[in-house]
Amino acid sequence: MDLNFTKEQENFQIEVRSFLNDTLEPQVVEKVKNGIPITKEDSERWHQKLNEKGWLAGTWPKQYGGQEWDVVEKFIFEEECGSAGAPRIVPFGVGMLAPVLMKFGSQEQRDYWLPRMLTGEDWWCQGYSEPGSGSDLASLKTSAVRDGDHYIVNGQKTWTTFAQHANMIFCLVRTSNEGKPQEGISFILIDMNSPGIEVRPIITLDGSHEVNEIFFSDVKVPVKNLVGEENKGWTYAKYLLTHERTGNANVAVSKRKIQKLKKLADDAKKNEQPLSNDPMFASRLAQIEIDLQNLEITNLRTLASVENGEAPGAESSIIKILGSEIEQDIDNLTRKSLGKRAFVNEPDALSTGYNGAEVFPKAAAYASGKYFNHRKKSIYAGSNEIQKNIISKLMLNL
Amino acid sequence: MDFKPSPERQILFDTLKKYFENEYSLSDRNIAAHSHLGYSKKAWEAMRDLGILESLIDPELDGFGGTALDISTVFEALGRGLVVEPFLEVGILAAKVLSRGNDAQKSLVKKILENECLPILAHSETDTEYLKSFVETKLSVEADESYKISGTKRMIKHASEATHFLVTCRNTGDASSEEGISIACIPTDREGIKIDSFATIDGGRVSDLTFTNVSISPEELVGELGMSYSIVSHAIDTGILAICSEALGIMERIKELTLEYLKTRKQFGVPIGKFQAIQHRMAQLLVEIEQARSSVINATIYFDDQTEREKTISAAKFSIGKIGTLVAEESIQLHGGMGMTWEYDLGHYAKRLVLIDHEFGDEDFHLQKYISL
Repeated sequence: MDLNFTKEQENFQIEVRSFLNDTLEPQVVEKVKNGIPITKEDSERWHQKLNEKGWLAGTWPKQYGGQEWDVVEKFIFEEECGSAGAPRIVPFGVGMLAPVLMKFGSQEQRDYWLPRMLTGEDWWCQGYSEPGSGSDLASLKTSAVRDGDHYIVNGQKTWTTFAQHANMIFCLVRTSNEGKPQEGISFILIDMNSPGIEVRPIITLDGSHEVNEIFFSDVKVPVKNLVGEENKGWTYAKYLLTHERTGNANVAVSKRKIQKLKKLADDAKKNEQPLSNDPMFASRLAQIEIDLQNLEITNLRTLASVENGEAPGAESSIIKILGSEIEQDIDNLTRKSLGKRAFVNEPDALSTGYNGAEVFPKAAAYASGKYFNHRKKSIYAGSNEIQKNIISKLMLNL
Repeated sequence: MDFKPSPERQILFDTLKKYFENEYSLSDRNIAAHSHLGYSKKAWEAMRDLGILESLIDPELDGFGGTALDISTVFEALGRGLVVEPFLEVGILAAKVLSRGNDAQKSLVKKILENECLPILAHSETDTEYLKSFVETKLSVEADESYKISGTKRMIKHASEATHFLVTCRNTGDASSEEGISIACIPTDREGIKIDSFATIDGGRVSDLTFTNVSISPEELVGELGMSYSIVSHAIDTGILAICSEALGIMERIKELTLEYLKTRKQFGVPIGKFQAIQHRMAQLLVEIEQARSSVINATIYFDDQTEREKTISAAKFSIGKIGTLVAEESIQLHGGMGMTWEYDLGHYAKRLVLIDHEFGDEDFHLQKYISL
């Protein structure tokens, strides 16, 4: 057993760290570290800087502008970004659609769409869930009917993250009602500016706008935007979901959040002592730290098996469950550590132009909002119940 | 043995429940709760006309209720309605304090009922100190025997529209000592008071209040100089009983909403409530909510028993804190994405339920207090 990085991996880690140190904008880091949502422009500037360095899509093949990072290099990059408070790379294009196009798309599609992801010309969103099809995704009803050189798309998608920013959407649509539901699904790319598309915001319980409903009525989509073969979309969708669920450990982000929580607890007072000295609080915090240490090793074990050529299977479900629950536990304890201050909800308090009363500590501005917003983590990307179904089926053979 | 409420209280509860269902729309409530005022004056007036405030106040002060059972009954109904108007702050905290004051102060309780004043208790000082006796705001006795107070009060709900502040302050003793605490009842336009207000996650506004050399006269003290801890302590205990009961009403409503969703939401061709994994989680919620109700009943029964009150109140607040967070998180999870939306009722109930744990001491604080008693 050898848990150390190689010399090359260590050098890469140093290079990433110094790049982040030189490049990250302090005011964006401040937002990320305080859990304040960043703007579209914040994301775009960060993507652009990463792209100039060639790191926006580090795992891609060199021919498309990537670095061919292996799983360990990807892990190092993501962990360093997480602890530095870098914005998360918006995953829908480079992280999710790109692997599908590389494996199943036509050469023409790769040559056209992949460079545009790097330059930021396209902002992608993901059209999977529908009002009646969440956990039971294969029951989706949005239809695409062939009409000459076009498909005519009708239906509704929901929970679409950042659809308000996107100019393109990759969609699962029904092209056949024959056979099993999985057998009639196709994977197509739709221009969000097409006539017949309407985006309506869904405001979440914390008052933020991340997700949307999208309505399609007689939307014309060129046949050349079909990815792979008609009615094979389910295979591509599942391939994409395995990518969606990796990188969910978020160990570095959770470590950073625990450090911040410790600082909050040192400064807060309970019974005229620092809150961090309180045995109940200390016990809650220690349990989360232990869970996180365990997850770090569990995650590295998964990475090591992928590095040794074993395909990640249901292990990514274990990581998704643990990663989401540990982050929720930290958000929960952060909220608790703020005491009465947790009532405050002033997410704009860190933005320029805010002219309300000063929120102190700053972390309180959106701590409860974040706690409630992050309840989504055990719901999205396949709810944790669905992950348990996968584990039961694939690992336990039940 | 009979745990049923008296017929009068059952009628009161049913009347309020029906009123909130028919007249207190949650979408209007949410707009008001997150407005600059933090509640709806129109709804406040309409609900006052129902006699809700009177039911919280003793007959000797022109009310017709005010017992622990009355308060528990009314606040469970207010919880079901997710009422954001300041019944806790005015009808319980301020009224309980003023009822122990001099005649002029007692008459303010009557003015509350006549909608002529809105007094607010300004007690809490730090975010994480939940000790009822924690007061650092300083009261100094001047040469002419008048007083001045200086200090900061934090996270005071519904303070921005108040007509009077009931400010706890201390002239002797350590920050947590029960000795040396006084309460000053002063109009909010008195010189030297600064108010900074914030929006909240669960609705209503909160404020930090800074008092800088604010002059008060001896007649403005509620109770005697340095001897008012028991007044504020009793008001807060009553407040705890009220919000624990509010939490019960919220949990019952959450249970109804979640059950309805499990019966109607279909995935894989059947209502999701048909899956055993889901049934067990919902059953567990029911078990926990029953325990929460018992804890509140216990606290209500012993509320007027000097030796048992604090212990049963802490037991209830601990139970409500622990169970409330569980119920909020589980009900959101069982709803999936729907539980995350602003448009649907559940999330608003869940937010208030979780934040109740941040008022008057959280589950950890009350567990430790229970151990110490």
